Amino acid sequence: MSGLLPSLGRAVLDIVGVVGAIGVLFGRILSRLVRLDLDGRQTLASLYRMGVKSLPIVIVTALFTGGIMVVQAAPTVERYGVQSLLGWGAGFGTLREVGPLLTALMISGRVGANNTAELGTMVVTEQFDGLRALAIDPLSFLIVPRFIGIVTTLFLSTVFADVLALFGAAFAGWPLLGVEPGVFFDGVTGGLLGVPDVVHGLVKSVAFGIGMALASSHFGIATSGGAPGVGRAVNATVVTTASFIFVLDYLVSFAIR
Amino acid sequence: MSDDLERPSRDASLDEMLGLSPGGADDGPSWFLAFTSELRETWSVVTRTLHFVIRGSPQPGAVATQLYEIGNRSMAFLCVSMGFIGMIFVYQAGIQMKRIIPEVSQLGSTYLELLVRDLAASICALMLATRVGAGIAAEIGSMVVTEQVDALRMCAADPIDYLVRPRFIASVIMTTVLTVVAGCVAFGTGMWTASAFFSINPRTFADASLVDGADVAVGLAKCLAYGAAIPLISARAGLAARGGSEGVGSATTRAVVNSSLAVIVLNFAISTLGYFLLG
Repeated sequence: MSGLLPSLGRAVLDIVGVVGAIGVLFGRILSRLVRLDLDGRQTLASLYRMGVKSLPIVIVTALFTGGIMVVQAAPTVERYGVQSLLGWGAGFGTLREVGPLLTALMISGRVGANNTAELGTMVVTEQFDGLRALAIDPLSFLIVPRFIGIVTTLFLSTVFADVLALFGAAFAGWPLLGVEPGVFFDGVTGGLLGVPDVVHGLVKSVAFGIGMALASSHFGIATSGGAPGVGRAVNATVVTTASFIFVLDYLVSFAIR
Repeated sequence: MSDDLERPSRDASLDEMLGLSPGGADDGPSWFLAFTSELRETWSVVTRTLHFVIRGSPQPGAVATQLYEIGNRSMAFLCVSMGFIGMIFVYQAGIQMKRIIPEVSQLGSTYLELLVRDLAASICALMLATRVGAGIAAEIGSMVVTEQVDALRMCAADPIDYLVRPRFIASVIMTTVLTVVAGCVAFGTGMWTASAFFSINPRTFADASLVDGADVAVGLAKCLAYGAAIPLISARAGLAARGGSEGVGSATTRAVVNSSLAVIVLNFAISTLGYFLLG
């Protein structure tokens, strides 16, 4: 049973099983969302804990991301001597790709992993069974609020990160390349970048949010085997979420131009 | 020296320190104290690890086990992620270039330069921060809360020497190896995308004329810095775990967040230094 073929088959079956379970979970969440069958207080609490509390890391990440984009664009800008295009170059990459991607990776580490740990601990201490015994649907009480929390957090954080990254880029371009912020923002708004580019990034952020919420909730609910099980579930969540983010990034990039 | 970690420490992840911790208004500068104590204790882990790298006790097989855990078991995950990244970046860059110049044959050389200087090392490190960082913190954290680390100390084995040193050495080596392999995968998928969507001949695309020694040096410096930072920050988060399984959960989260932040900050620092020193 330890040959290459059996282990390959087991891996494929595992992946198919996880994807199927996540699909079923998505369907059940959607059916409750449509009926607005969710707990309002839990939703507000999730939004606060996930969204408001993530602001500091989003700010730090976004400012540095802007700086990195400018440093990476620097040799190209100097080679062709096109300083007016720096804003466009850094803005294009940030808005369409790097802003949503890095925000999602940071939020995944903070919010996604935490969500799995919380749900997993509840499962192994039988709090889910407790809720069921009280005739409370764990999905509409716990999962749907978190789903809304994660998707909203990621969307708003990306909006926030886009703006801050552009500021970071503008103020890194000044000392590094001598491109004044005014020239930089002229490059951003000069007509080569448009609303479709911003929308492109935001669509990605919603897709990442849905993927992250589903993966982290699924592995939280599916936790078994006590405290070590929670650790394994958290590990599975961060890895699956990162893979989801890249696959969704690829699909969205090609689906909308 | 090693009792730094034994007294209950103020641990706080960067988000708690910078932000709205539930402490209220009366403990004004506490986030600053928490931040400096976090820095000091991470620094203590760094110095002790470096000490034991030079004069640690020999443990046959420990480094090899970690090389396998960190390296081989991350290979598939990294190659798949970087493969997608290669396709996405070449596609986006191609669209971007087409908007100003109709000619996209420069795409390959620019992409290869960016890949060597930054993209391969940084994206790989972000992936490793989630996979390896979470693994190290969860493993060491659950050893701390089940008092296995105290048992190690009773056997006169320093946990830094016994647990952190092999992971540190393995991570520095394997981050570099994984970056090179996954970078090649990303270049291959990028080459495929360029020929499929922009009809650029693979021979034209594989153009290393823009890559010089400075790019390789900056990329290599990044690999080594990330490879060193991730296990140290994650081990520090694991060793500071307190209070049962929730403690392990929050240690894991803190390891992932702080290592990812470290990767981003180091990226900015090394890129800026490289730009000024090497041009």
